[in-house]
Amino acid sequence: MGFFSKFRKKSPWILHYNTGGCNGCDIEILSALAPRYDIERFGMLNRGNPKQADILLVTGPVTKNCKDVLRRLYLEMAEPKVVVAMGACAHGGGIFRNFYHVENGVNNIIPVDVWIPGCAPRVEALIDGMVEAVEIWEKKSKEKEFLKDHENVIKTLGVEDDG
Amino acid sequence: MINVILTVLAPLIGGVVYGIERVVKARMQKRVGPPLLQPFYDFFKLMDKRPIMIHSLHALMGIMYFIAEWFALAVLLLGNDLLIAVFFHVIAVLALVIGASSVRSPYSVLGALRELMHMISYEPLMVLMVVALYLVVGSFDIRDVLNYEGYPILEIPLVFFAFLLTIPMMLQKSPFDVAEAHQEIIGGPEIEYSGPFYEALYTGKWIEYIYVFTFVFLFGGSHYWLGILLVVLAFLFINLLDNSSARLDFRTMVKFAWSVLIPMAALNVILLALWQ
Repeated sequence: MGFFSKFRKKSPWILHYNTGGCNGCDIEILSALAPRYDIERFGMLNRGNPKQADILLVTGPVTKNCKDVLRRLYLEMAEPKVVVAMGACAHGGGIFRNFYHVENGVNNIIPVDVWIPGCAPRVEALIDGMVEAVEIWEKKSKEKEFLKDHENVIKTLGVEDDG
Repeated sequence: MINVILTVLAPLIGGVVYGIERVVKARMQKRVGPPLLQPFYDFFKLMDKRPIMIHSLHALMGIMYFIAEWFALAVLLLGNDLLIAVFFHVIAVLALVIGASSVRSPYSVLGALRELMHMISYEPLMVLMVVALYLVVGSFDIRDVLNYEGYPILEIPLVFFAFLLTIPMMLQKSPFDVAEAHQEIIGGPEIEYSGPFYEALYTGKWIEYIYVFTFVFLFGGSHYWLGILLVVLAFLFINLLDNSSARLDFRTMVKFAWSVLIPMAALNVILLALWQ
């Protein structure tokens, strides 16, 4: 924790990724950027670029096609980073649970720090979740973070991560 | 004295200008907007990220962009040839293009090519503008321009108007933000930079603000109040245009620059030369 860590909470940049949900949560996220809620007054921006983002905001039950993309987005983000799962689908599948094409939630692929429940969550709930994510983010260090089953992922994907 | 201060503190002042711009943009959209010092909070936050680079040349070119941009501004402000300042600015953009085209990301390479299209569009106009200022003042030296007794804006109004429509190309604003199309190619040349290396690009852009608005200021001649008025009007006009227009194709941009803006500026230069 250096001098600059104090300013972290002032500018969390968001990367939003929809992993095959119904788009309801995404409309709420866009509404948070609009004049009524104006999330930019807390310095939050929707960057759309994993290399420059700090908070990964995931919606939807992770479909099989999205699985590798989601993992890659998580690995491309520079530490410190936080993952926020938004909506009922992201919490273990929602109405898509145990379908043949879903992975039953974000937590089966990448570690989640904050959960925002609801279908779809209200914008107030989203902002509350973001505040909580920023609080967690402030305490994180710059150390490299790994996936939960890091060795297995490397074995199945066949790629080495140079750390 | 003020030019030395402006050169040395260029990143700070540019950051404040960028902060003002974000607040103005938010107010134009009926939002509250971020605090005024938001760019500096972003700066400190990026300082605290884990540094990741693609390869060393890529990172070096990002930093090179920042240094060359600052150097171009120093050449411009510290009383040198205007023409040389324009050419040093080309070096900064070239560093960005080389860095962006040295990685495998298709968005980055596409952004680099579009950045070259930007250069094709605005560089001839910059040179024409400097030539027009030379015809009015009789010297390429910035001190002579700032001591000129007349009103350059009244003698070369078409050049000023053409330059006003070139500013969106230089500062990557809508409708001419084709290289940095955030919804389309997610930042273009800057997409692969992260953490402290992205900071160099982020700060280089603030310096570009000072660089561009210094040229606007020159149209006031020795009447500094007029120069400041022109800068404020140009700033508001650019933001209004940015908020109210959609992005154009890069072909449209190049066509517009070469068939409308450059003939307009050239006509003004020719008429002025004939009249003299």
